[in-house]
Amino acid sequence: MYLNVRDATKIYGTFTALDRVSIGIDKGEFVCLLGPSGCGKTTLLRLIAGLAELDGGEITLEDANLSQMPARKRGFGIVFQSYSLFPNMTVAENIGYGLKIRGVARTDIAARVAELLDLVKLPQVADKMPGQLSGGQQQRIALARAIAVDPRVLLLDEPLSALDAKVRAELRDEIRQVQRALGIPTLMVTHDQEEALALADKIICMNHGTVVQAGTPEDLYHRPATRFVAEFMGISNLLPPEDIAQLFPDLLPSRRESERAQLACLRPEQIDIASVADGAATIRSISFLGNLRRLQVDTTVGMLTVETHGANPCRVGDRVALTVAPDACTWVIDDTEPRKAVPA
Amino acid sequence: MNASETIQQRARHQRLDADRLLTAACVGLPLLGLILFFAYPMIIVFLRSITVGDSYGIGNYVEVLGSSGFWRATRHSLVMGGATTLVSVFLGFIIAHGLYRCAFRGKWLIRAIIVLPLLAPSLVQALGLIFLLGRNGVISRALGVEIEIYGFWGLLIANTLYALPQAVMIIGAALVLLDARTYEAADVMGASPWRQFRDLTLPSARFGILNAGFVCFIITITDFGNAAVIGGDYSVLATEIYSQVVGQRNFNMGAVVGIMLLLPTVIAYAIERQAMKRQQAGQTTGQVPYRPVFAPPRDLCMAALSLLICACIVAVIGIVVYASFVTLWPYNMSLSIKHYDITLAGGYSSLWMTILISLGAAVGGTIAVFLLGLGLRRLPHVLAQPVQILAAMPAAVPGMVLGLAYILTFNSTSTPLYLLYGTAALIGIVNFYHYHTQGFLTVMTGFRQLPPALEEAAGSLGAGLGRTACDIVAPFIAPMLVSVFFFLFMRSMVTLSAVVFLTTPQLSVAAVTIMRLDDAGLTSQAAAFSTCVMAVVCGAVLSMKVILAMMQRRRAE
Ligand SMILES: Nc1ncnc2c1ncn2[C@@H]1O[C@H](COP(=O)(O)OP(=O)(O)O)[C@@H](O)[C@H]1O
Ligand SMILES: [Mg+2]
Repeated sequence: MYLNVRDATKIYGTFTALDRVSIGIDKGEFVCLLGPSGCGKTTLLRLIAGLAELDGGEITLEDANLSQMPARKRGFGIVFQSYSLFPNMTVAENIGYGLKIRGVARTDIAARVAELLDLVKLPQVADKMPGQLSGGQQQRIALARAIAVDPRVLLLDEPLSALDAKVRAELRDEIRQVQRALGIPTLMVTHDQEEALALADKIICMNHGTVVQAGTPEDLYHRPATRFVAEFMGISNLLPPEDIAQLFPDLLPSRRESERAQLACLRPEQIDIASVADGAATIRSISFLGNLRRLQVDTTVGMLTVETHGANPCRVGDRVALTVAPDACTWVIDDTEPRKAVPA
Repeated sequence: MNASETIQQRARHQRLDADRLLTAACVGLPLLGLILFFAYPMIIVFLRSITVGDSYGIGNYVEVLGSSGFWRATRHSLVMGGATTLVSVFLGFIIAHGLYRCAFRGKWLIRAIIVLPLLAPSLVQALGLIFLLGRNGVISRALGVEIEIYGFWGLLIANTLYALPQAVMIIGAALVLLDARTYEAADVMGASPWRQFRDLTLPSARFGILNAGFVCFIITITDFGNAAVIGGDYSVLATEIYSQVVGQRNFNMGAVVGIMLLLPTVIAYAIERQAMKRQQAGQTTGQVPYRPVFAPPRDLCMAALSLLICACIVAVIGIVVYASFVTLWPYNMSLSIKHYDITLAGGYSSLWMTILISLGAAVGGTIAVFLLGLGLRRLPHVLAQPVQILAAMPAAVPGMVLGLAYILTFNSTSTPLYLLYGTAALIGIVNFYHYHTQGFLTVMTGFRQLPPALEEAAGSLGAGLGRTACDIVAPFIAPMLVSVFFFLFMRSMVTLSAVVFLTTPQLSVAAVTIMRLDDAGLTSQAAAFSTCVMAVVCGAVLSMKVILAMMQRRRAE
């Protein structure tokens, strides 16, 4: 691994914000830190940036220990959620500031600034003040400022969450393109699973100051390790073995007896549905979501969520039969208190 | 790890230490100043108050508490403080309500007039009243009546005029906190304008009014200039200290009276800070400013009242300027500039000296509070808090007490600090520490508005503390720094209470010269000198407005 965090611990008073967290980022890799608000993502990012001090563990970059190194010596780039452009400097001065500190010649700075403005697709704004730009433009400039100095690692703390949905999607793709083009190892914090799925080579899912699971987006979506990950990474039907035995007895053999409390995780699109006159289940509601339909289906063990693509003749009240392919089920550890709220 | 890396690592440690050192210096130097020029003199004044002969004891207190003069002065101070507070808060509320909750034209004029009393030494109100209502005053002569202006009533009017700007500003700040949506909601629910005033405006201004009351009370009981010029036989604690120290050369007794004056101000200040916190806690973001619509009975009434009050201020200050040009008040009212030829020893030298001292206090003071704010941000809370408390304490100390503390501390040959005694530097220093709290709090407001992300972004880009301070922090809080600079300059130009003990025959300041001219019966020359001081301060105010407007334009660009 290029950047390594081993057993990072951070304690605020009596509250443990991070509890022995270990993560790694490879060269050129785009890693997302995903988790609910307050789980310690920002804290971890700030430790890596050198903006906060470790209470335990260590951070190394290419095997050099960073613990004693102040933020300004690390050569990392950082983009914050709130616009953090220097309000007293023009856009060009903002982007060139890191180079100016490094004593780069003026003409070289100007050339580099122009290049970066092209890269973030804002070639016209060099002489504007930050206050004259929209939120999305400001974040692009903040990104350009962070990568101007060829950072060894790029750190992004929810850079998109203050933006409108449309701007967010645009900028999300651009961040990905820029990161691919430059190959900068990147760590991005987000609480939006869709964003993480779309961007990351690797997702690190956190909860309560610990890492719950790390892996590729597919891993986390299709093979969640715990109930928390399954619920956080989208909609899922989580059923105890008794219910599975009733509904889909074929799935039971895939469960390993040895492990503690387990639930079967069935994603809504993995359940196949067919109208059958004497079906054991009944459709209770249908929401039309454009590319798919989400059905609430009443079964002998309670409601299940099912999604179907394309034309579908089902109506509310129809009796249906449900089937699941034997390999579509993942058994997850139940690590959270049962929740009443249905995931959005 | 190879050799070059080792060297790099060592360099990193050194840089880290350099930043730590810089932080320590940022906090340490201003802190040292606070200890040396505020805490230490205050301890000395306390020790002197309990010094009897060669040992300590409460003898002085017993003596002071047993004297009828002291109790009379205390009673007068409290009565005067209370009366002034009531009147100035009442009038201040009228003006603030007119400015922020009513619709009429010409508010800029009221705004401009209302701050006039702050631009002159406090004794100018007293001088103006004497020219208006004194034995030879225009009004007394026009009406043919003899008014006894020296004493309670004259002092009450002078103090009220002096405290009024503060009352208006504080109550106004509280009123603007209540935003338009609240009133719109009340409108929709059918509340009459009177109900809105009673149920929304008044309660929201509650803490502002309380706060203004305490500020006016402190200003009044600690003021010396008005009391000295127009108080007559109505002795108050501030004049009592002066007569103990300057009249009877009894420093220890002066210290006792000083401590007794300190008590009510400290209490009032502590309560005021609490009221302020409560008010700030109610603040919300994303406000829609209230835009009053014209309501004839209310607005015409408020405009008339405001204008009447403003007319009084203009009359009192304007008469001083006018009198300074009158050949021989009241016998020869033709105009001349002969009073501008100051006959008192030293002439205008004290004016130039005051400008110099004020510039010094403003430059040094602005830098000091900036460094302090910068360093405190980087200090852990447990260390920062005591420093912050100390930095906010000077506001509770009356100028007379601070000045007395200085003379006791720096006029003693026992420490090298004696070298400062009788120098212009010491007067600049006492002015800065006298107004330290206001300057410090203003800068801290600026620092609170500075998003931590800005400094962190600069740090991640490789900027050290010094660079961040110059490139990012200072430009960001520049408007606050400009305000602090001019505030310190203007206060230093006009203050009397703290410096009155520190001037010497060779080294005087403007406010003291005005007092001496008035004492010597050269009232017209005192008016002329006051006019010069006001001209300088008005020039400063205008420069500040221009600079702040330019900054705002640049940022909005
Ligand atoms: N400086 C601090 N002092 C005390 N508690 C903090 C501090 N910073 C963060 N925390 C706490 O640590 C937890 C994790 O915060 P954070 O890392 O910001 O979460 P997020 O995952 O939303 O970015 C939160 O409960 C927060 O209240
Ligand atoms: Mg966060």
